[in-house]
Amino acid sequence: MHGLPGAFSANPHARRPGAWGWWLLAPMLAWLLLFVVAPMGILVAYSFGSRGMLGDVEFGFSWDSYARIADPIYLRIFARSIGYAALTTALCVLIGFPAAWFIARRGPGWRERLLLLVMIPFWTSFLIRTYAWIAILRSEGLLNAVLKSSGAVPHVFAEPLELLYTPAAVVIGLVYVYLPFVILPVYASAEKLDGVLIEAAHDLGAGPLRVFREVILPLTWPGVAAGMMLVFVPAIGMFAITDLLGGARVSMIGNVIQNQFTKALNFPFGAALGVVFTLLFVVSFALLQWLGRRKDETAKAR
Amino acid sequence: MKTRSKLLLLGLAALCAVGSAFAQAKKRGELNLFAWSEYIPQAVLDGFTRETGIKVNYETYSSGEEMLAKMMARRARFDLIQPPDYIAEALIKNGQLTPIDREKLKNFGNLLPEFLNMPHDPEQQFTVPYMVGTVGIVVNTEKVKEPVRGYADLFAPKHAGRIVVVDDGRELATAALYTLGKGLNDFSKENLAAIRPVLAEWFKRVKLFDSDSPKTALLNGDVDLGLVWGGEAALLWKENKKFEYVLPAEGAHLFVDLLAIPRRARNVENAHLFIDYILRPEVSKLISDDFPYTNPNGAARKLLSPEQLANPASYPKTDRKLDTFRYLGEDVAEAIDKLVTDLKNAR
Amino acid sequence: MSSVLVAPKHEPVSKPSTVPAPPKRASRPGRSGAWWVERGLALWTALVLGFLYLPIAVLIGYSFNQSRLNITWEGFTWRWYGELLSNKPLIDSFKNSLIVAGASTVLAVLIGTTGAWLLHRHRYRFARAIQALVCVPMVMPEIVMGISLLVLFALAQVDLGHATLILAHTTFCFPFVLVAVQARLQGLDPALEEAALDLGATPWRAFWLVILPCLRPAVVAGTLMAFTLSMDELIISLFTAGPGSRTLPMQVYGMAKVGLNPMLNALSAIFVVTTVAFVLFTEHLRRMAARGADTTFSKP
Repeated sequence: MHGLPGAFSANPHARRPGAWGWWLLAPMLAWLLLFVVAPMGILVAYSFGSRGMLGDVEFGFSWDSYARIADPIYLRIFARSIGYAALTTALCVLIGFPAAWFIARRGPGWRERLLLLVMIPFWTSFLIRTYAWIAILRSEGLLNAVLKSSGAVPHVFAEPLELLYTPAAVVIGLVYVYLPFVILPVYASAEKLDGVLIEAAHDLGAGPLRVFREVILPLTWPGVAAGMMLVFVPAIGMFAITDLLGGARVSMIGNVIQNQFTKALNFPFGAALGVVFTLLFVVSFALLQWLGRRKDETAKAR
Repeated sequence: MKTRSKLLLLGLAALCAVGSAFAQAKKRGELNLFAWSEYIPQAVLDGFTRETGIKVNYETYSSGEEMLAKMMARRARFDLIQPPDYIAEALIKNGQLTPIDREKLKNFGNLLPEFLNMPHDPEQQFTVPYMVGTVGIVVNTEKVKEPVRGYADLFAPKHAGRIVVVDDGRELATAALYTLGKGLNDFSKENLAAIRPVLAEWFKRVKLFDSDSPKTALLNGDVDLGLVWGGEAALLWKENKKFEYVLPAEGAHLFVDLLAIPRRARNVENAHLFIDYILRPEVSKLISDDFPYTNPNGAARKLLSPEQLANPASYPKTDRKLDTFRYLGEDVAEAIDKLVTDLKNAR
Repeated sequence: MSSVLVAPKHEPVSKPSTVPAPPKRASRPGRSGAWWVERGLALWTALVLGFLYLPIAVLIGYSFNQSRLNITWEGFTWRWYGELLSNKPLIDSFKNSLIVAGASTVLAVLIGTTGAWLLHRHRYRFARAIQALVCVPMVMPEIVMGISLLVLFALAQVDLGHATLILAHTTFCFPFVLVAVQARLQGLDPALEEAALDLGATPWRAFWLVILPCLRPAVVAGTLMAFTLSMDELIISLFTAGPGSRTLPMQVYGMAKVGLNPMLNALSAIFVVTTVAFVLFTEHLRRMAARGADTTFSKP
């Protein structure tokens, strides 16, 4: 996520805080400790507890919940969630990058107008945008109606296309919802890229592919990385889209975690899943940052 | 000075916003109702509010287990809940319900005796029946020509991808138990192992798991067969007679949904008022109009039209004795949940 | 976390009107390859925008359809909008959303703005750790935040309701305000406060009279973002709402789960129109800020 560590203030005029400085900051610190740190701590404590009567948790130290995650069922669900999120991320980048690039290279007027067009879906409620696909993908929905009435390829579409409540529907929904999340950050870095660099590369005899690989991609990488993060993280835990478009057949890790807290009454197991999920997420975050740094270094080395 | 007073004002505004939210939550004259989705008509809630001035907050769930989890674990204080029989049994055993004050229910006598003093609440101390129903098979006879008599026919390979079932582990596991000729509350280790391959085959053929409104997919033509709540099937039949309701030959069970007041309820008085309101024949009829389950209210049944009473999904004609679910403890509930999660994700 | 796009949205605020002009297209005749690439990209962008807008357009179209099932067009009607406005649970959930979003926005702006200023002005011990901690709620998966807050409230024996919702929403909203304000602070001349102090102002007055007016565009942007984030939040609300505090997204989610509903089409149309108005409004604000920035005290 570009801008996160960079947002750290390096004000040369900053002073050592007096007692007042700390007192004023105290509410925010207390808030963070109470509602971010403490809950995570409790979650970890829960994950080592065991299930009591009707949703009670008996605190203790048992690895049972973690042992249960090692069960192939849950490993498979984790793997699938990561797979779906990765597929969604890849599709979003593939679809979004060229569009973001194109928009960033327009003149100021067009650029602003096209950007606004991306901004509107970005700010529209994701639930509404997911719901739209139910109407489109149903057996007797718009897509099938169009295919039927077109009649161009009657043999293939004699049977209605069964898309709703399939994994394909889930991926379509995820890509649709998260596409603007890639376009906007990629746009932000592409827009900063000086066109002279590309001209220069061309003049030095680089082919389009080479220009893309060695100039465009390294220089827009911060945006691409940010976009990937913005898609991958929410997509992996998203259960609302899976529920609405997957017909409760495709479980993602989010569905299983939610299930422990809203149906199965097994808090410790749900907590353990949450903890593992968080660790997974921290690792992928670190990995992406590391990748980004390596890219930077190689770019500088050239 | 001026700056400080402005800051103070901002802070006060924030406090007021939070305070008003607290006040909103604590305000008297409310009833926090926790009930199944698609089960209580808005007109009934509005009628109650109009008459008593009590605002009803209606929250929903789509399985008995979900209700239990949200009530127990999430410290959500509801005044009136609508548990199915076996969940009510668990709540009673754990002392989680407030006894019903029969004195306050003028209309209690309207209930048919066959739905009282059932095993989940033998003394009828804690619960009042709301609606009763069966879980059965719906067939779109325009699309499915061959007869469907039981679970075996429903989940036949030729129906793959055309089936909707309720997203309720206990119900689906019970259907599998019936298919193997076992009793519906017999979830021994051996039986759990035995139903696994049966459910695995079935799940491959299911297109959609939906407890909230399985009728929608049938009505839209997304699927042609379903294992659904009786009331949903009754609505389909009302809409179009092509939707036939079948009580599965292998066995079907009766569920009783109840009204009960949690131990931690804030507005016990209002909850009683609401129960008594529901028990009025004309109100109960309104419920039957919208959600045609089996109405346990004898006086209300007299107000129903002959067509309503003839609806085979509301009032199935059967000589069989229908059994009810019992609470089997959390280990069984968890084993079922794990089994279902496992099989859903086998692919 | 939805809408984490602090950076692209605020880039223009912090560095206005220094955008390098894009290269002139087809600056050299005869480079037909590049021309084709350009054409292809234009087509692709059009397709992407079509993909983004078609489903929304379909929903809006259907919202005027008399048919309940959306399959065929049966004539124009305002009926669903009427039903929408008389749907009590929906209106109630909308009110709840306004209460929750309003209160958490006020809290988030207070905490975020003061936090950003303090972190900017003082060199705290553990400043890096504090900064990282602030970022945690922004990047934490929503479901983990939801369940961790749920277990906190369960353990503290706090009953779920409006209050818990407001606490939860403030927690994920204020870092966005903080980061937005911080970005603006970095573009500010640090000597500004010194000057005010040298002229005899108290630190309070310096903040109130000199710094805060400069921060206004960022504070406004942060306010809008916090409000929108809160209004649109579903997952965390599902775990922290109690009886009588169901929010609009929770209500919509419940309705969408039950299946197709013409009322939802109408609601979608209203949502989209509101969003368009909102985006145009923020865009307007941004331009005003960009124009104003030249006259305020930005770093040379």
